[in-house]
Amino acid sequence: MLTPFPVKNCFRLLCHHRVPAAGFRTPATHGLILQSISSDVYQNLAIEDWIHDHISLEGKPILFLWRNSPCVVIGRHQNPWQECNLHLMRQGGIKLARRRSGGGTVYHDMGNINLTFFTTKTKYDRMENLKIIVRALNAVQPRLDVQPTKKFDLLLDGQFKISGTASKIGRVAAYHHCTLLCSTDRTALSSLLKSPYQGIKSNATPSIPSVVKNLLDKDPALTCEVLMNAIAAEYAAHHQIDNHITLINPADETQFPGIRSKAKELQSWEWTYGWTPKFSVNTTFHVPHGQAHLPIQVSIDVKKGRIETCNIKAPDHWLPLEIGNKLNSSFIGSKFCPIEATLLTNILLRTCPDDQHLHSKWNILCEKLRGIM
Amino acid sequence: MARHPVRVLRPGSAVQSARKFTEKHEWITTENGIGTVGISNFAQEALGDVVYCSLPEVGTKLKKQDEFGALESVKAASELYSPLSGDVTQVKEALAENPGIVNKSCYEDGWLIKMALSDPSELDDLMSEEASEKYVKSIEE
Repeated sequence: MLTPFPVKNCFRLLCHHRVPAAGFRTPATHGLILQSISSDVYQNLAIEDWIHDHISLEGKPILFLWRNSPCVVIGRHQNPWQECNLHLMRQGGIKLARRRSGGGTVYHDMGNINLTFFTTKTKYDRMENLKIIVRALNAVQPRLDVQPTKKFDLLLDGQFKISGTASKIGRVAAYHHCTLLCSTDRTALSSLLKSPYQGIKSNATPSIPSVVKNLLDKDPALTCEVLMNAIAAEYAAHHQIDNHITLINPADETQFPGIRSKAKELQSWEWTYGWTPKFSVNTTFHVPHGQAHLPIQVSIDVKKGRIETCNIKAPDHWLPLEIGNKLNSSFIGSKFCPIEATLLTNILLRTCPDDQHLHSKWNILCEKLRGIM
Repeated sequence: MARHPVRVLRPGSAVQSARKFTEKHEWITTENGIGTVGISNFAQEALGDVVYCSLPEVGTKLKKQDEFGALESVKAASELYSPLSGDVTQVKEALAENPGIVNKSCYEDGWLIKMALSDPSELDDLMSEEASEKYVKSIEE
């Protein structure tokens, strides 16, 4: 049961600074089921932050349902270069987001449901939440074989991952969120979550690749809409609250003061790329040289998303040493980013001798360098 | 829980203070105005194996209760809150490659940050080791 419901009242009742008024409706227990009308990953992640920071969850758990237009979401301490194909994402206009919870990398599109379970720290219980989802799935399709694992995945038929979990624990509250694959584009998923980058050494938390399957492929009744309603109903039954989904607009600054700046922060380069744990790239690429190919070794350290040290070893007979040195030193401090690299190398090229042969080598080199970013 | 001596007398009369605790299960010891911060045994057990330590830059200014980082474990990404106000002077670098040190030695090698305290009187608001143990027992029930 969905209604665009003015949420000011229910949020006021639940906010930290308010003394809880006499009952939201008249149920014995309190809680909320919310669904986002936005498919923007940054806005939806921002709402998670906002609810976590502003709403008192004591005796009032919240379930938040959301879906995103195509994007890749990495865990808080992950390295996007290790986890996904950034080139392909840029070409396809597919956003990259870093969430505040831990865990691994996932691909989202409108065929994937995201579920966030907000509770106090003491009531934090991932297995309880996953069991709600399993009961909901079995309510729609009793013969469905879905089981939670010890790692809080959901497996279909004992082998296909249909859900992954991540969590964040804060001062007084916690949230557990998970995905649910209904009808995701699996071709996009596998191509985008495959990193083409070589030679990365990093302490970032790695993802564990899994074989996945869509629930819709198992049973055509299991659409996103059906499942969201079923999960909401089961959540309401479990927490003894009204089975009522409230639609929310995460872009509404009046309802959610401060949400815009949260979304902005989540979208920022400093958070998305700059928060990547320190890493090094050691790789070799080849450039044409006469009839053969010449190996060029590259050794780059990246800290906070920026190049800290840079050693591109182009042999003197291919590229004059002083130009090579200039290239290395000019990269220091710049973002490890193909757009910024292009800007930088274009500027540098103007300081080089006007030699067509040299320029063409330079362009090849720069194209290869962009390729590792 | 391993017991460690909490008073260390060094020549030159630099005395390390007794360990104090927050309700968020962080601990702090101080010496010559520098506080060393870590998480308690209760916290590291509750977290499970730590797989990543996200710590601030040296020079970061923290107010009491500011979030200064996070520990990722199988349980969750758990945020860390500063017990006191001050400037970060040192960060335990070894945790980058070996985050598990936090589990193995939460009171010794597994310290997280050191900070120059801007208001040492804030220490008075924190719990003693004994009070902390009582507190932990009460919330476990």
